[in-house]
Amino acid sequence: MSIVKRPDIKSSWYVTSIVKGMALTFRNMIYNLFHKDEMPTVNYPEEKYEYGPRFKGSHILTVKKDGSIRCTACMLCATNCPADCISITAAEHDNPEVEKFPISYEIDTLRCVYCGFCEEACPVDAVRMGPEWQQPGLNGSSFVHDIQHLTRRPNLKGGYTSILDEEERHNSGI
Amino acid sequence: MLKCTVNGKEIEVAEGTMVIEAFKQAGEDIAHYCWHPGLSVAGVCRLCMIEVEGAPRLMIACNTQVTEGMVVSNNSAKVQEAVKWGLDFHLINHPLDCPICDQAGECGLQDQYMKFGQYDPEMAERKVKKRKVVDLGRKIVLDTERCILCSRCVRFTDEVTKTSELGIFNRGDRSEIGTHEDKPLDNDYAVNVVDICPVGALTSKDFRFKQRVWYLDNDSTVCNGCSTGCNVNVYYNEKGYFRVKPEHNKDINDYWMCDKGRNIFKHVNKESRLLKAMKKTEAGTQMMAPGAAAKDVASLVKNYSSEQVAFVFTGQYTNEEYDDAMMYVDKIGTKNVFHWVNNPESFDDFDGILLRGDKNPNTAGLIKALEAKSFNATWEQLEADLNSGKIKLLVLAGPELQEYFPDIQEKIQLFSKAEKLVVLSSNPNPAYRDVDYLIPMKTFVEKKGSFTNFAGTVQKIQKMRLVVSQALSLNEAMQLMAGDELQVGANL
Repeated sequence: MSIVKRPDIKSSWYVTSIVKGMALTFRNMIYNLFHKDEMPTVNYPEEKYEYGPRFKGSHILTVKKDGSIRCTACMLCATNCPADCISITAAEHDNPEVEKFPISYEIDTLRCVYCGFCEEACPVDAVRMGPEWQQPGLNGSSFVHDIQHLTRRPNLKGGYTSILDEEERHNSGI
Repeated sequence: MLKCTVNGKEIEVAEGTMVIEAFKQAGEDIAHYCWHPGLSVAGVCRLCMIEVEGAPRLMIACNTQVTEGMVVSNNSAKVQEAVKWGLDFHLINHPLDCPICDQAGECGLQDQYMKFGQYDPEMAERKVKKRKVVDLGRKIVLDTERCILCSRCVRFTDEVTKTSELGIFNRGDRSEIGTHEDKPLDNDYAVNVVDICPVGALTSKDFRFKQRVWYLDNDSTVCNGCSTGCNVNVYYNEKGYFRVKPEHNKDINDYWMCDKGRNIFKHVNKESRLLKAMKKTEAGTQMMAPGAAAKDVASLVKNYSSEQVAFVFTGQYTNEEYDDAMMYVDKIGTKNVFHWVNNPESFDDFDGILLRGDKNPNTAGLIKALEAKSFNATWEQLEADLNSGKIKLLVLAGPELQEYFPDIQEKIQLFSKAEKLVVLSSNPNPAYRDVDYLIPMKTFVEKKGSFTNFAGTVQKIQKMRLVVSQALSLNEAMQLMAGDELQVGANL
């Protein structure tokens, strides 16, 4: 194994480096003062950055056309999740056409790594990762999102409709 | 013995063996749905196709007997092609239910599709829709759409239980499995049809939607529901125990088990367990660590003379626990050791298949352990001694499966005639409200050991996942009560 030999601190003359660094800082500062529109940073929270529509942010559970939850509680998202942050409790639905649905679906977004594997694993387009990226909260528990938050939080403006509809599938004979 | 060659492997099989059994014996994979080793041959699924040297066409392995010098194979392209299109026919009307189907993960159809299928369907017609979520009594839910008409369940009710509830109704692609007028399928072995169903057409109400099967681990053990001692697999994960399935043992339970035995995991889970020891004091009930409570009892034991101490055992503990327990009883020096027989009237009942009237897994083991130390006190003697006040301290090694002890309330009232009553039990019971000490015990999935069944066969049980880690096994409790210290790592 090679050993890195660091130069002796006493023998190095560091003042020139400091002067060079400060010069760069002040040059940029003065330049930015006169060219504000070229600055890459934004004044959050007064200004907000708009990400592209494909950005993978906060999770959304989609709904069917009748407004009920699309998820069938197959647990494939929970199985595929590398952070083990999804917990689902399945139950028997009254309608035999639906049969199985989640009575609880929770995502611990503090554990979540936003990899999007849940979205990929879902066979029925029930879970998506939306464009939102701000998640304020007061304590740990406000980051564990339940069905109500995932389907009907105000930002979703009434909920997202799944592209895969069970009724259409049945009618087409599959 | 006959010599034959299976996929290039030369093996010897017994006369009368079917080719599919020869495949199993050779360790070669072969697709099959309708064939089940415990049932008769139906030959309806047409998937166990084989090529026999010298025969012009493919044959089905389940209904072809091995002959001397036979050369069979199922790895040729011709066989693969036949299996693939056979599978396509099965999938024509099979619904796309895998995400909500309980069988997913242990489904024959899924496995075969991943192995032989993986094609785009070539069917132009619509799928035939059939009835879903048909309620067949309190144990089973039927989905006629998922059924591939292998007829295993029909043969099971015809051949094993001989109750013949199930049948195939209608014809052609409208064929459905079911009971006449959807009458409940309610015999004592009904849930076996869920196990043998190769798809998710029959699902167990008890397990339905509780867990996906790929989250579960399983270990084999022995059913503690009766003295037959069926070999079972218990399925569990970190959330608890979820189901019990039979394991093949040709001498004891073959491929089956009874429905009562399917409930043996229910008392094990934490919500129904006794978590702390309880000691009744003047101020009320005091919660303690189980080991501390047992040590407390040890000081009580010392207060009384050895004749004033009595022990009552039930046949629900392991042989190893009994052996150790008797050793410590000897050390305490009492001869007052009694065997609580829960149902003397129906003790020798037998339903002709598996269910026995003796609802204890290890009655034979307890009797043997008692005989070895020549403890032969009778129940009448216990009653007399309790009534006369001769017994001051009584320790009850209580039953693990309390449902089979319906007279528990009366018996506890009888035992309460002793000055101090100590109950060792894995689960709480309203009858135990007024006992002086209640000490939590381990259940049969939390300890190693062995059970001796009605015929004297000794079978091992395994330690799986601890639910109540503080709970004691019988030998640990007895050791502490006899005034000894527990050795680290000595725990069974």
